Amino acid sequence: MSRPVQRLYGLLAELTHRCPLHCPYCSNPTALTPRGSELETGEWKRVIEEAAELGVLHVGFSGGEPLQRADLTELVATARQAGLYTNLITSSLGLNDRRVEALKQAGLDSVQISLQSDESTLADRIAGTSAHLRKLDAARLVREAGFPLTINVVLHRENIERLPHLIALAEQLGAERLELANTQYYGWAFKNRTWLLPSRTQIEEASRVADSAKKRLLGKMEVLFVLPDYFSQRPKPCMNGWGRRLLTVNPAGEVLPCPTAKEIGSLRFDSVREKSLRWIWEESDAFNRFRGTEWMPEPCRSCEFREIDFGGCRCQAALITGDASVTDPACSFSPHREKLTQFVELKEREALQRDGNSFVFRAG
Amino acid sequence: MEPFSSELRPRLRARARLQIDKVTGKPALLYPEGVLMLNPTGHAIVSLCGGELTLAEIVASLAERYKVATGQISGEVEEYLNRLRRLNLIELVDLGEGKK
Repeated sequence: MSRPVQRLYGLLAELTHRCPLHCPYCSNPTALTPRGSELETGEWKRVIEEAAELGVLHVGFSGGEPLQRADLTELVATARQAGLYTNLITSSLGLNDRRVEALKQAGLDSVQISLQSDESTLADRIAGTSAHLRKLDAARLVREAGFPLTINVVLHRENIERLPHLIALAEQLGAERLELANTQYYGWAFKNRTWLLPSRTQIEEASRVADSAKKRLLGKMEVLFVLPDYFSQRPKPCMNGWGRRLLTVNPAGEVLPCPTAKEIGSLRFDSVREKSLRWIWEESDAFNRFRGTEWMPEPCRSCEFREIDFGGCRCQAALITGDASVTDPACSFSPHREKLTQFVELKEREALQRDGNSFVFRAG
Repeated sequence: MEPFSSELRPRLRARARLQIDKVTGKPALLYPEGVLMLNPTGHAIVSLCGGELTLAEIVASLAERYKVATGQISGEVEEYLNRLRRLNLIELVDLGEGKK
């Protein structure tokens, strides 16, 4: 039982919460940072340099939409000069010839573009704006410039059955990695989970499709399929352990152990405006609270998986049980597991009733 | 996956970058969402994946460098490269393409 401070490997830089899309499962917090409170260019540069000093190897430039920041290219160049592997995590709206070329010159290593579906009617409805065709154009620009491309699709009830078409589209675009990420139900997505949660049948079919694509595309395109917690028996090893490998800096400069940690009301997060990144990583209360295994209650404390899943997700524990320090309710050993299972079953019953209703109301 | 042949040459994909890690001084292979810390033989193998040498040529070069018979290491090198191929970090290219 220890609380060892390990090496920090990855920085997620959420440059802004501004975004042209309006996805109902957005991973940003429900209380967004206004533009006037965003870190300035010089502050971000210092954060990136401090991260490199700490041993960070990867930086993901994310948001919101990071292309909304005019200084993105400058920040990429700073990161690249510090020896970091730089990944742009984008909707791609705002990407044009000129910006692609500037990012190439700055040394950007890789581009990840989100798609909402494989065809524009559904995709644009989910994004809340006309975006899909522009995204396809941007993806082609990215490939033409020689960037390795990752396609990320957040899956939910409305688009999960499009999986075979989504995989085909990613192949056609020349993606080298495809992330099929089932919605994580926090923040915006939690508010919308009634509308978003897929059925068990949909999940099973999608798992089969993803598995077969994974085998077929081995060595060509990496296919990642993340099962939603609500259907899983084991919790995910969230962030590979709290304060263990990764951290997020949000647009206002607060440093978070995971991108959604702001949802945990009982924690206070230090800002890079007041403290060094090293102090926050090594010394701050928020990072030490759930670091290692010492904080764990039962059933985690004596569990053989405690160094594998690290007790799962703190945000989900807080959201479902009101207590961030209990076992993730996604775990089958959690005394709160029923709360997730009941929600899934309720959705299944509602779906059955919907079918029944359409039959009952058939006659005019 | 496609088998190795005398026509095809392993090449590190554009998504992977080999550099020396500042903290440990060891070679690190960086790629989206991941890093592999390489041991000296891994580093030697990856360094030869520029798209110019076939598997047989890579094995011959390593055998000479480490003063061993090619038969002693060829299986190991092939398996190592296949592991990197499964991670989508190495691709096989034709000679013409490899010189690009």
